[in-house]
Amino acid sequence: MKKHTITLTVNGEERDLIVSSNRTLLDALRDDLGFTDTKYGCGTGECGACTVLVDGTTSINGCLTLAATMDGKSITTAAGLARDGNLHPVQQAFIDNDAIQCGFCTPGMVLKAVSILDENPNPTEAEIRHGLEGSICRCTGYTKIVEAVQDASNRLSGVGE
Amino acid sequence: MTSRVMREFDLLLPESVSEAITLLATHKDKAAVLAGGTDLLVALKFDYDIDNVISLALVPGLNNLSFDTKLGLTIGARVTIADILRSDDVKKHYPALWQAAKVFATPQLRNTATVLGNILRASPAGDCSLALYALGGTLILENTSGRREVNLDDFWLSYGVTARKDDELAVSLQVPAPSAGQKSAFRRMTRVTEDLSKLNAAVNLQMDGDKCTGARVVMGCVGPTLVRLPKVEGLLTGAIITPNFLEGISNIVGSEIKPIDDIRSSAEYRLKVAGVLVKRVIKQALNEGNDQ
Amino acid sequence: MGEFKVVGKRVERVDVRAKVTGGAVYAADVQLAGMLYGKIVRCYDYAHARVTSLDLSEAAKCKGVIKVLGPKDVTQKEYNASVLDMMVSANMRGVLGDIDDQSIFTDHVKHYGDAIAAVIATSEEAAERAAEKIKVTYEELPVYLTAEAAKQPDALQFRPEKPGNLAFELPEMAFPDNAYAWGDVEDSFAEADIIVEDSFYVPKQKQCQMEPGSYIALYDDQQRLNCWTSTQMPKLVQKKLANLYELPMTRVKIHATVIGGGFGARLGMVLEPETCALAMAVPGRPVKLLSTREEDWVTSPSRHPGKYWMKMGFKKDGTPVACDAKFENYKGAYYVDASGTAFTTGAWLGGMYKFDSLRYRGESYYTNQSICGAFRGYGNPQTNFVMEQMVDRGCAELGVDPIEWRKKWHKTVGDDGWCIGVPYNSCALDECLDRAAEAIGWTEKREKYKNQTGVKRRGIGVAVMNHTSGAMPMLLEHTVCDVLLHQDATATINLACSDMGQGSHTTLRQVAAETLGFSYDDVHIATGDTDAAGFDIGAHASRTLYVGGGAVKQACEDVKRQLFDRAALELEEDVSNLYMEDKIIHVKGASNKSISVQTIADQGVNNFMNPENGELIGQPGQIKGYASFFPPHNAPPFGATIAEVEVDTETGEVKVIELVNAHDVGKAIHPGVVEGQLDGGAQQGLGMALTEETYYDEKGICQNNSFTDYKMFGPSDMPKMTNILVENPDPTGPFGAKGVGEAGIVPPVGATANAIFNAIGVQILEAPITPEKILKALEEKDANS
Repeated sequence: MKKHTITLTVNGEERDLIVSSNRTLLDALRDDLGFTDTKYGCGTGECGACTVLVDGTTSINGCLTLAATMDGKSITTAAGLARDGNLHPVQQAFIDNDAIQCGFCTPGMVLKAVSILDENPNPTEAEIRHGLEGSICRCTGYTKIVEAVQDASNRLSGVGE
Repeated sequence: MTSRVMREFDLLLPESVSEAITLLATHKDKAAVLAGGTDLLVALKFDYDIDNVISLALVPGLNNLSFDTKLGLTIGARVTIADILRSDDVKKHYPALWQAAKVFATPQLRNTATVLGNILRASPAGDCSLALYALGGTLILENTSGRREVNLDDFWLSYGVTARKDDELAVSLQVPAPSAGQKSAFRRMTRVTEDLSKLNAAVNLQMDGDKCTGARVVMGCVGPTLVRLPKVEGLLTGAIITPNFLEGISNIVGSEIKPIDDIRSSAEYRLKVAGVLVKRVIKQALNEGNDQ
Repeated sequence: MGEFKVVGKRVERVDVRAKVTGGAVYAADVQLAGMLYGKIVRCYDYAHARVTSLDLSEAAKCKGVIKVLGPKDVTQKEYNASVLDMMVSANMRGVLGDIDDQSIFTDHVKHYGDAIAAVIATSEEAAERAAEKIKVTYEELPVYLTAEAAKQPDALQFRPEKPGNLAFELPEMAFPDNAYAWGDVEDSFAEADIIVEDSFYVPKQKQCQMEPGSYIALYDDQQRLNCWTSTQMPKLVQKKLANLYELPMTRVKIHATVIGGGFGARLGMVLEPETCALAMAVPGRPVKLLSTREEDWVTSPSRHPGKYWMKMGFKKDGTPVACDAKFENYKGAYYVDASGTAFTTGAWLGGMYKFDSLRYRGESYYTNQSICGAFRGYGNPQTNFVMEQMVDRGCAELGVDPIEWRKKWHKTVGDDGWCIGVPYNSCALDECLDRAAEAIGWTEKREKYKNQTGVKRRGIGVAVMNHTSGAMPMLLEHTVCDVLLHQDATATINLACSDMGQGSHTTLRQVAAETLGFSYDDVHIATGDTDAAGFDIGAHASRTLYVGGGAVKQACEDVKRQLFDRAALELEEDVSNLYMEDKIIHVKGASNKSISVQTIADQGVNNFMNPENGELIGQPGQIKGYASFFPPHNAPPFGATIAEVEVDTETGEVKVIELVNAHDVGKAIHPGVVEGQLDGGAQQGLGMALTEETYYDEKGICQNNSFTDYKMFGPSDMPKMTNILVENPDPTGPFGAKGVGEAGIVPPVGATANAIFNAIGVQILEAPITPEKILKALEEKDANS
């Protein structure tokens, strides 16, 4: 089986690695690079626990992406959202709105929220819910997650400050 | 049952269409083409065994999504569902396709999955495929001997089987330009919002005022491939579409489909509600996409 | 009750910062030096078969393989993954009927996914590829998927100890006539003016916790068996593994990792025995076992499905005279939890209404389905689906308002609770019903939706529930807690309670801070290490705050008592004359006489002699509080849900418009945590009512053990949610709190079913209530009218 030498920029840091053809981006991130904040939840692109952002804020499933096709790409995981110990406004909104329970979906969910707000800084509730499809949470019933995204939207657009 | 680690294969990364088709000519049925990969990787995690995966990641020129009032819509092999959703031209001229893209899978999958991939999957439930079936389209296939065109009407042969030859690469899809008075819509039924369709329908109506002068009516999840409903199309053509007329249409849909029982629904239920879905999708088309 | 400083506040949860940055370490994230990987070979071709041959030789030759293990290569001891046997006294174990009928690997496949053999290899990939080379042949056996099939006289017997494949029925020795009962139902039915009766089906719902089963085990150089697991019950799993591998508890250590959701799926043992079996085969090497989602689905327990028959009798004035019920559940392949749910399903029924007589029978039958066990609610959602629909049918026939009837006839303070002989000590269900009704506009909507004719019809329905805080008196309730006071006057609370994400470590910390009179930041909750922590039953039965919190409170009071004793000595005052404020202990009425907690704590640790007089400065000894806590009661939570739905009568599709949940929570220690439990419970309750069911084809092959094929309510499906927290402090709960971990899932089930009944005038007897079933029922209704 062919091995591929690739360079990934993960959370702003450049990493060279050698991956087999069948290595998923998820496994490369978790097992080769130690970004265990990206989770395996189903392996088939249904649950969104493996969500990462590519080249900005495009959300994809790490479990359905071959690492070797990602050479030169820039990847953001949840671990890369905070800057100098300061949480991203979306992360802070998740905390402040009690949108986190078991936390297993949280890294993917937070990244998803970032991508929703990047595409549409002032989404309606229905748009938030539509955008959150593909990220399963079994703990919260989504209510507080939706509230957190609304709150983050306000924070990012300066409302209420 | 999936594996956590896919079986071995070689990943080939051609950098041009010609390189890709040369690889296909070499490996034929021993190779699978990866564009978005959202279906292929799932298959590879199940028991699909393939020696080579030819990725289109580095092939330039396949991202083309363009609209021309004469030529219509061109969709390149790497155009994703998200690209469709972002296109104002698609939203305006091909509402059925835009509506299908809107509910297609999940945001992550929409960012990755390609329109052509959905067509090549030949699933009898494919949402974007169904919308395109209604709109009509021609697939451009290329191999080392050249290009050929296949009308979508002739493309899906049976469940998972298409007219694509092993050595052919589907490079783009051409959707005809919309005519004045063309109205299309897509509608589906699912168990929960994010789900594969358990029943879907799309229409493309040629309207002259209140009168329908031409119709394509297609359904998914009611047979081994997506199907057209010729009787319904025949009745629609030349008709003034009234609520009573639609009830009549609704009642004959069942005679044109052969659904089965599966995980998502039953044959019995599908037969019962198919007419309702067709009725509603026609109304939706006439209401310019507004629900009901 | 006075003002609280920490309790009742929406403090930042202890775990969220790590979770939101992805730093929280779940079992799959643990990486150890020299790690090996296991892969279990499971039977996915048959649900019932005998292994006729097993060939491991090809697999053993594969690259990277360290060992291949068949049934003979691991412990031959049978076990029972459930922990119920550890929760009852020795003489009650017979009542449970527990048997050890599981083995690490089997030659008799009893369900889709049963384990046959395993590979240990240097990588996950090598283990997977080698596992594919293990050759197994089978002899197919007849498949029994239901109780009805399994009880046939000619059916193959799963276990000789359990004739008729009847794994469990309420035993005669504790339940005369094999029934949980009071009064005489036959006599009472004779007095009834109206009798309603029907047979229902409740589905095999799956917890679908986001973290698939992930484990690591290591038999280390000290000959200690270590297991990293996201179990809900570290101390019981420690003891279970000690028993299975015949080791003293000192040689078994559970490293309790962050739990990616439990809901019952991590109650007792799941794949800990298998992972440890692999580790025992390669001493000194850690072995990691990671499940696929589909594998987790069929190897961890589900809710008990089955047939649920019920009959209720009422007098014309609404008096509930009799209720007779029988739940025959399809237990699955092994005994685990056969007894618990079969009993509690009736207990919740018995705890709800003031029937003159009641009789409930519960039977668990072996079937060729994957195992059933604990799932949030533990029988209560099943009962809610059936009982609440029967009550509404009765109300319809009586012509009474379902809320008014419930307010009049639900059990309350002084009535027997879910356990006969243990009366309820608090109940605010009336207030729940009143406030929920007002919030949703019950009266107006019931009137408005009476005579609808359109395609889309609205309906509004109510359901109530009783539950429990801990399993006392049926099961052992015990938590040990110790509190170490540091010299800087901060405290570490050490206990084994696990937090599945429900927020219990946060609320326990709030209880500790409030009790100590410290700030939230002054307290740390230390858990996860079974070497260090004393006994705790584990996170189940909505008990962690109620029982764990009771232990924390008692241990913190112990610290406080010691602080006051020392202050009294230092200040030369009587303890009764002292009070504490902002960590300073003052003498009442003497503003200049005080000593800080900091001083006492520091002097206890850094205790020196005064060189001038040779006396010790302050009181020596680091203060440690301790509690071995057995709760006095089970502080029953009550709750009501009102659901509004819209049914499309052409397609049978249901849209849930709104859900109002009003719950008697005693005291909300952290309102956000409580709301989160109700929100999340509702998502699961709606799923059970409308979409969720694991099912099999006639051969017993599971058809939908994946998120592609099994559908839960997603963000766009969830309705508008309103939660009303009714705070009616329980006299026995810490600061009045009751457990709410399970309450939220229960009444949405019945309320949704009743809202559909209200919308279309027909009841659907099988959950989940799918469009397919609704359309069929509407057609039958039309045909009959």
